[in-house]
Amino acid sequence: MDLELNDDQIDLRDNVRAVLARECPASVVRGVYESTGDASALRKQMVELGWPALGIPEEYGGLGMGFVEVGILAEELGRVSAPTPLLATVSQFVPLLVEVLRSAPTSKTGELLSEVATGARTGSLALAEKGRWSPDSVNTTASGEGDSVTVTGTKTDVLAGAEVDSFAVVARPTGPAHPADADRSDGLGVYLVERADAEVTASKVIDPALGLADVSFDRAPAKPLLTGDADGEIARAVEQAVVAMALHTVGACRRIFEVTLEYAKVREQYDRKIGSFQALKHRFADMYLAVEKANAICYFAALAVAEDDPRRREACHVAKVASGDCQSLLAEEGLQLHGGIGYTWENDLHFLLKRAKVADVLCGSASWHRARLADLLGLTVEVAP
Amino acid sequence: MKLRFDEGTEAFRAEFLQWLELNRPSVEEMADDPARSSGHSPGWTRAWTRRMFDSGWLVPGWPPHLGGRNAGPLETLVYLEELNRAEVPRTTNPQGLGIVAPSLVDYGTEEQVEQYAMGLLRGELTACLGMSEPDAGSDLASLKTRAVIDGDRFVINGQKVWTSGAGYADFCFLFCRTDPDAPKHRGISIVLLPLNTEGVTVRPLREIIHPDYPDLSEVFLDDVVVPVSNLVGELNDGWKMAGGSLAHERSMVWLMSVMGVESAMAELLETAPGMMASLSPREQVIAADDIVGFYVETQCARALGYRGFARFVKGGNAPEQALMKMYASELRRELGRVTAQWHGGGALAVSEGRRSSLGLIEDYFATFGSTISAGSSEIQRNIIAERILNLPRG
Ligand SMILES: Cc1cc2nc3c(=O)[nH]c(=O)nc-3n(C[C@H](O)[C@H](O)[C@H](O)COP(=O)(O)OP(=O)(O)OC[C@H]3O[C@@H](n4cnc5c(N)ncnc54)[C@H](O)[C@@H]3O)c2cc1C
Repeated sequence: MDLELNDDQIDLRDNVRAVLARECPASVVRGVYESTGDASALRKQMVELGWPALGIPEEYGGLGMGFVEVGILAEELGRVSAPTPLLATVSQFVPLLVEVLRSAPTSKTGELLSEVATGARTGSLALAEKGRWSPDSVNTTASGEGDSVTVTGTKTDVLAGAEVDSFAVVARPTGPAHPADADRSDGLGVYLVERADAEVTASKVIDPALGLADVSFDRAPAKPLLTGDADGEIARAVEQAVVAMALHTVGACRRIFEVTLEYAKVREQYDRKIGSFQALKHRFADMYLAVEKANAICYFAALAVAEDDPRRREACHVAKVASGDCQSLLAEEGLQLHGGIGYTWENDLHFLLKRAKVADVLCGSASWHRARLADLLGLTVEVAP
Repeated sequence: MKLRFDEGTEAFRAEFLQWLELNRPSVEEMADDPARSSGHSPGWTRAWTRRMFDSGWLVPGWPPHLGGRNAGPLETLVYLEELNRAEVPRTTNPQGLGIVAPSLVDYGTEEQVEQYAMGLLRGELTACLGMSEPDAGSDLASLKTRAVIDGDRFVINGQKVWTSGAGYADFCFLFCRTDPDAPKHRGISIVLLPLNTEGVTVRPLREIIHPDYPDLSEVFLDDVVVPVSNLVGELNDGWKMAGGSLAHERSMVWLMSVMGVESAMAELLETAPGMMASLSPREQVIAADDIVGFYVETQCARALGYRGFARFVKGGNAPEQALMKMYASELRRELGRVTAQWHGGGALAVSEGRRSSLGLIEDYFATFGSTISAGSSEIQRNIIAERILNLPRG
């Protein structure tokens, strides 16, 4: 067992980090927050570097890397609170397409992946409804057959929903199951809907750089990608979205830790560096532990996904809880230890604080995943009928 | 990154398991004659240590003449995993096997290795560590016990305290001041002191729980005479060796502490259904949240610990090791505290013997042994902040 990144993975991380430090300084994020700029140059750069292709199989023009590498990208994007649909594309859209393709190899899905690989298409997962990221909460329906399938319902907090080209929509089919999947029981299906066919309302949320949106479909034309019973594929894709979001959270937290630590080494009060006060030192030790342990468990989960280990489902819940707990501490201490300067709009710290908080909520908060873990561990309370 | 160990390591595990099956002490013999202290080795441990030594399973990473088989760190890791899983103690004298023996192998003379280290490795002797004093705890370097050279002997005067196992151990790895004029870190030496030497008085210190089985002692030293040949390493070089001896097996020590937390967690999960059955639905919800919280932390501790170990194997520096002492010991403490809260009146009991079980308030108190000793949690935080994070001293 080796839970340390290998040399290639470390190289990837260092490269991504260096590019993002150059191409995504806080000024780019500020531009998006203040509507004075957009991040189009950053997006172009990412496509040129082939990042959207990272986790796509080679036969569809991708780089064929594993999920640990996708996790690395997600973490680094969190570190700079990047304004980009890339996180949605690589950690939500692509995983679901790949899962679909594995069960039902169609040229349609393959083409979609090829388009993503070249940067011609971006996408996101339209799963959550009423702020809940569980397939159980899906009320969106799909009806019709063949070329006349439509989707109706409202998805909330769709990552990069205001920006992506298309949505992989999780919906409940009504009427007879798709003929090709006649042997599959009735369950959730996956449908592709173009953004132009949906009503997209950009959400006014605390981190505008994530492009979150509520997306409504009113008999929107949809291409069925997998119908009948796609619950298993959806669950596996959601696991990947969860771990990537957990790593995204930890990426933001690690940066909060670093900037706060740097600040404690330069800021002076009472004629000494504030970092020399033991009360603060001990808090830094605890913050450091919080970041390191969350990072370690998130990569364990990413590895369990990559190797399709039986522990993967449980590990995903654990990772999201740990990353949520990590941001609870880091956002709080990061802000507190900056004093007044951290409380200002002008300081860049708040981009990270907000990213960490929002990423905890997306794909299910720590508390929500705790409840799922209680189920998995058999701690569910039997309520008398 | 890999979730599985390579085939060679798994083959090593299988070989050990086969040996363990045939050679382990039985549950009955362990239960019939439990060790009374960390310096006590009842008959079965002596024989068990000897069997491990003879078969090269005592310190797998060492060469055969020292009770090993030149195993690599990963192999040692799976060896420790399996001992833990089998609930067989590797030794009942951890400070002897884990700290004193490796220090002697590194710094001792040939005679010291033959007489003392081999005695420990063959299960014939046990040792204790005489470091702390009434006025030198966290600030160990301020210790005052004085050893004066008089011809070919040391004359030692002073007092040690919190000496684990001293009531039963055969000898003490004693830290003394040999140059009172040097800066405090530079005047310390290590001397081997047989505890039956004239002038040594060992007085048991009853602990917060199990007062009838004291493990700690005060050790009083009045004009105690030992030959100069009992000096370990160079004169006045003790502090550096302290760094060395305590660093010894440190990677294994935190691994053991992670395994300790995992065992407690496994026990908690195993007993959870029974415990839950006695609670109301609302209580069950709250208890489940507590248990899930510990489950997550245990998984984190394991991931962090094993990642640190992977870095250590690759020869990198592993800051995780500094975190693990604090993390695992505090996690085990919290797990003990909260579990006891869910045990109702059952948590109040006092158990027979030296062992407490999870869910007793007694067990919670016992966990402080790890958060206080060998560098308290506060000292660990200082170390992390100053040596890893480079925050300014002062
Ligand atoms: C179960 C057990 C077994 C032990 N076994 C042995 C043994 O075998 N051999 C041996 O030599 N010793 C042993 N010890 C002693 C142990 O190493 C000391 O207790 C420990 O080093 C702390 O020293 P102290 O007890 O004097 O506490 P102190 O050093 O007086 O500390 C008191 C409190 O102050 C805090 N503190 C001290 N300095 C600082 C600082 N700079 N910053 C912040 N906080 C600080 C401590 O963390 C602690 O909370 C054992 C102790 C226990 C509990």
